[in-house]
Amino acid sequence: MSFCLETYLQQNDDYEILVQRSGVKQCYKLIEENSKELIHVNPGDKVLGARLIGLPPIPVGINEDEGAILITYTKPCHGTAAIKIPISPEEIESVRAMDIGDG
Amino acid sequence: MKALVLLGCPEAPSQTPIGLYASYKLGQMGYDVTVSSNPAAGKILDISDPEGVYVKKRVDIEKCLDEIEEGDYDLLVGCVHKDAAATFFITYYHILKCKALALVFSRDAEEVAEFADMVESSTDADVIAVRAFHNPNPIKVRFDKYLKTLEE
Repeated sequence: MSFCLETYLQQNDDYEILVQRSGVKQCYKLIEENSKELIHVNPGDKVLGARLIGLPPIPVGINEDEGAILITYTKPCHGTAAIKIPISPEEIESVRAMDIGDG
Repeated sequence: MKALVLLGCPEAPSQTPIGLYASYKLGQMGYDVTVSSNPAAGKILDISDPEGVYVKKRVDIEKCLDEIEEGDYDLLVGCVHKDAAATFFITYYHILKCKALALVFSRDAEEVAEFADMVESSTDADVIAVRAFHNPNPIKVRFDKYLKTLEE
């Protein structure tokens, strides 16, 4: 799947906002606390077609049993949000393959 | 040579004059300058510089982020005055992998230190960190000194 995350968030209601208008480090902590599996990516890596904005290594949570991933979403004036969005089993595999480790 | 000037949320009064000044000075040095900003900061630039005397090219910060690749620019200069601005700068840096300067400023000394630490711990970018909010001069003075090092 390749999509515009902003458009997705505007046009769907099947996502959950864990926190919004926050700092990036607070969002990472929430993602770590609410994820059953964690991978890490570099800033600018495309997850589901959206470039992730943040500090390296950026955590991405995977809750396979819920069919969801947890990512951060940053806007210049509104800070960073941690969101949980649906994901297919095939997309989970492609996200796992992006893991750079947490070093 | 191509330079990208990155602007964040325009709520810090010093950002717009520094953005215009950086675009002007880098243009004088021979850089082909593009300013990347969100729509709010972009509208302020458009009204401040209606003839495009100082800002020749302007792009949306998120569209630009989606499209840029390593090697597209030779120099990145970013205003870092919020947590989100630091994350955008760091992300642009990691994609472009070019020489970079973070202009870190805030009215709050603790925020200056915090944002400078975010940039320094995540990049090899040069950092100018000063207390500044309404008055852009402390940033300008340090920026001018930095530009002289680029010319040497």
